[in-house]
Amino acid sequence: MNVLRWWWSLVLTFALLALLRVFVPLPFANEIMIFSIYTVGCNFLLGRVGFISFGQPAYLAVGAYAAAFYFYYFGTNPYVGILIGVVAGIGVSLAVGPLFVRLRSDYFALVNLALAVIIYYFMQKVLVDITHGDNGLWFLTNLSSTPVLDLTRPDEFFVFALLVGFVVWAFYKYLDDTIYGACCLGSKINEDKLKFLGYNNYSIRLVAFVIANTTTALAGAMYAVYLGFVSPEITSPTRAADPVIVTILGGVGTLYGPIVGAIAYTGMKDVLSKVLGNWELVIGFLLVFIMLAGEKGIWGTLEPLLLKAFRRAPAPGAAGESKVGGR
Amino acid sequence: MSGGDDILTVSALNVAYGESKALFDVNFRVGPNEIVACVGRNGAGKSTLLKCIAGFLKPASGSIMSNATSLVGIAAYAIAGMGIKYVPQDKKVFSDLTVRENLELGSYASKDYDWTQVTEYFPKLKVLMDRKAGFLSGGERQMLMIGRAILGRPKLLLVDEPTEGLAPSIVGQLREVFRDLSKGTALVIVEQNLPLVCAIANRVYALNEGRIMAELAGHESIKPENCERYL
Repeated sequence: MNVLRWWWSLVLTFALLALLRVFVPLPFANEIMIFSIYTVGCNFLLGRVGFISFGQPAYLAVGAYAAAFYFYYFGTNPYVGILIGVVAGIGVSLAVGPLFVRLRSDYFALVNLALAVIIYYFMQKVLVDITHGDNGLWFLTNLSSTPVLDLTRPDEFFVFALLVGFVVWAFYKYLDDTIYGACCLGSKINEDKLKFLGYNNYSIRLVAFVIANTTTALAGAMYAVYLGFVSPEITSPTRAADPVIVTILGGVGTLYGPIVGAIAYTGMKDVLSKVLGNWELVIGFLLVFIMLAGEKGIWGTLEPLLLKAFRRAPAPGAAGESKVGGR
Repeated sequence: MSGGDDILTVSALNVAYGESKALFDVNFRVGPNEIVACVGRNGAGKSTLLKCIAGFLKPASGSIMSNATSLVGIAAYAIAGMGIKYVPQDKKVFSDLTVRENLELGSYASKDYDWTQVTEYFPKLKVLMDRKAGFLSGGERQMLMIGRAILGRPKLLLVDEPTEGLAPSIVGQLREVFRDLSKGTALVIVEQNLPLVCAIANRVYALNEGRIMAELAGHESIKPENCERYL
């Protein structure tokens, strides 16, 4: 029964996302899918491990530039490019993670921001000969068509993004229900208590760091394939708070918060920017409101109401049915 | 009993919080299947001693040996992995996790998935399995913490103020649990409840201002009036 509920919530969510394609323009739907995958890693770090990261654009850029370099200099297959982006994400996470995860949450946030700034200037100035600086790398025409799902076609890219999203969310849902997921939450609540039991917090955090940032790099590589263009703007420090904002907007630590947050954020940006010059102001006020209203975010508030509405009869021992962290 | 047989031997242990010294030349030992109690006033250094053994505090000097292995400098999680489990005083469980998930965490760490002993000792936990630990009473939390710690049958259990703030019926239940546990696990209990200490302890160390003032051994010596002198 739990397995059915487990799968149905995922299938229903992604069926609704597929329906979104009918009601919104394709670029908007694709942007939501990529932004959701971009944010889910940040949501995992913040909601599960208790680490806020203002450096997610750094890992997005790692995935995007790794794929971009491949497309611009070496090959044409979009799937290979995405795979290279993911491998680069794992590599960079493993390189910096052992140092970063030793830090306290506040320093962790800042050191990641510093990494984003470093990568920004490397791509803009230091490696200008191969990155073309602010002009970026253009490779849309280099991408080759692929059988089954041709990622050079935006409509087929959307199907691919949906499938990737489904796998990513299934993976995070699976993680939530494992001992490792409980360890992550335990590490967030009180790391000493985990040590009493014999767990090494460092290993738990390092694995979480690699998982989260590899997901972000995957989003970066998908972004590169979708746009056929990458510039240093992708890792601009001015956009460092975007995934954190979307995470809070959707509901920190909730499974579907990143999707809801991405729809809300991208939607507001799309709609409000047409009528308001300073649309970020509205986002700012909305975040203040969410914080004051209980920090639950949109999905964090809606989820219990929806569960209550759709539950036919209260099951005995219902408290136990809510999974860890309410996800 | 020779020192080599001891589950734990603490020698000339000195611990300081910065400039402030908390333990002075503490000597302490725990034999197999023994229940050793530490009594003393608040601030005497009892909890500091347990934290130091469990690896949460680094001693300034001295040695902590467990079956010929030095515990000094070993990470707390590794000491737990060696079968020396610590149950802290604060009764803080993982409040967002259910009782079942809390026990699963203990099981996975100790590779012991048999909860028979836990549920025999604390039958109430069986009906609370799906309740979030944050909603448990103080006594239920203590049951959960001890239940989680005894998974994997540790060789030494360090328990800090287990009965603080608990109802007498639960204190009685814990007394029987500790007695039964000691058949396979040595226990160090920091406790101010002298009737409990006198009922179960094989040896009592009285601490005052960071120093061991007395060591009482045998049921003739371990009496409330003898312990009270140091409180």
